[in-house]
Amino acid sequence: MEVQGYQIPDGLMYTKEHEWAKEEGGVVRVGITDYAAKTLNDVVYVTSPKVGAKVEQLKPLGTVESIKAVSEIYSPISGTVTKVNGELDSHPELVNKSPYGEGWLVEVKPSNFAAESKILLDAGGYAAYLGSLLKK
Amino acid sequence: MLKTTQLHAYHASHAKMTEFAGYDMPLWYTTTTDEHFAVRNSSGIFDVSHMGRFEVKGSQATDFLEGLVPTNVRPQPLGKAFYTLLLNDRGGIIDDLIIERLADDRYMVVVNAANAHADMDHMTAHAPAGLGMEDLTGSTAMIAVQGPKAAESLQPLTEADLGQIKRFRCAETKVAGERALVSRTGYTGEDGFEVIVYGASVERPEGAMRAWEKLAATSTPCGLGARDSLRLEAGLPLHGSDIDPATNPFEADLAWVISAGKTGYVGSAVLADPAVRQPQAVRRGLVLDSGIPRHGFEVADSSGKVGFVTSGTFSPIMRKGVAQCRVRRDRSEFGTRVSVRVREAPVGGTITKPPFYDESLYGWKRTKGN
Repeated sequence: MEVQGYQIPDGLMYTKEHEWAKEEGGVVRVGITDYAAKTLNDVVYVTSPKVGAKVEQLKPLGTVESIKAVSEIYSPISGTVTKVNGELDSHPELVNKSPYGEGWLVEVKPSNFAAESKILLDAGGYAAYLGSLLKK
Repeated sequence: MLKTTQLHAYHASHAKMTEFAGYDMPLWYTTTTDEHFAVRNSSGIFDVSHMGRFEVKGSQATDFLEGLVPTNVRPQPLGKAFYTLLLNDRGGIIDDLIIERLADDRYMVVVNAANAHADMDHMTAHAPAGLGMEDLTGSTAMIAVQGPKAAESLQPLTEADLGQIKRFRCAETKVAGERALVSRTGYTGEDGFEVIVYGASVERPEGAMRAWEKLAATSTPCGLGARDSLRLEAGLPLHGSDIDPATNPFEADLAWVISAGKTGYVGSAVLADPAVRQPQAVRRGLVLDSGIPRHGFEVADSSGKVGFVTSGTFSPIMRKGVAQCRVRRDRSEFGTRVSVRVREAPVGGTITKPPFYDESLYGWKRTKGN
């Protein structure tokens, strides 16, 4: 799916804060959306939590910084961080080049996935939300 | 309602726009990083038409400016462009600016967009009757061409031989067929030029647009994002962030603009006070070990808070966070280790003399034959 040039892949879950989440084998991979990456313009620095850190749904998980600005990342889901994308230390631009692929941020083992995933948007829901945001 | 520059139509169809000093301005065209590297490695162009341009002329012009700025004006040769300050009665910096001497009795004064009104008010308040002073901001455009290949990009459009316009010199000539004032100045640390195109209003932007589009064939259009990261890497102050009307030239580390022994200019009485000349805190460059410093972050050492960040960014050249800060003078020596609170975490940093990049690789000094 695509809204005004911003990619929104099917099969992912989204927050209104412009993060995506993808569940696979009991682990949720988290990143920021194409819209968030393009709005930041050029990501030059990513601060992620450490492996083992506890994160809470829609609470700050880390930051993504462009030359100009800092943007807070909110965790789509509560749980424990099991993996951090270490590639971003030396190649933060991967967040821009491939926000849904190599530019992923962390993996979280969720603590309450069934309930929490219900409040996340699907691709269609996020596309509608983003469309309304861009109209303003 | 935001104001627009003569080149707005180009920006609106090529750039992500942002508000700055009441103008709708380009923030970036592609990415700030790419535009930053274009200027350090080749050539970039910036629309700086939002900056204030005042022409001061007449038999009283030299005396008027002499009484206004801490730099000697009378001995400046024709064709000289010099950096100086407008000060208030307390010695605080109303603005930093470039004055270009076009004739014995004619000057171009180029000021920051955000301060243009305050500057004009200040100058008007001190102007003698009969002084010729005209605001040319609306009737001229201004384009900065910056980078090691700036001369190569600008020369084919320019009547004058740019090789004859040395650093901090200027000349009136023609650019893209339009009357123009070209100075070898800029805000990036690189070799480059600032071109004031005469006879270009928002209603009649054609001449300025032609110059811009011709330059865009060989130079990369750059937005305010790159303008800020470039000037921060070079250690150049931004008025309103790093210096302001409450900061005097000694605190601003700009006392070098004060000509030795000069008196009788606005603010000079205060600046003669020995206590003022030994300020508590001074502007300094700062390079962080990790993280990106931002405006307002606290600078500390083992004794506690010693200052704060006045502006900061990520340096694409150094791949590190760099900043300007205001620190206690007894902690301001180059090489002093400090810590900066980047959100929760304290990060190490070093008080560093700008420019932060290696001057044998980047910046105007590497370019031979200027």
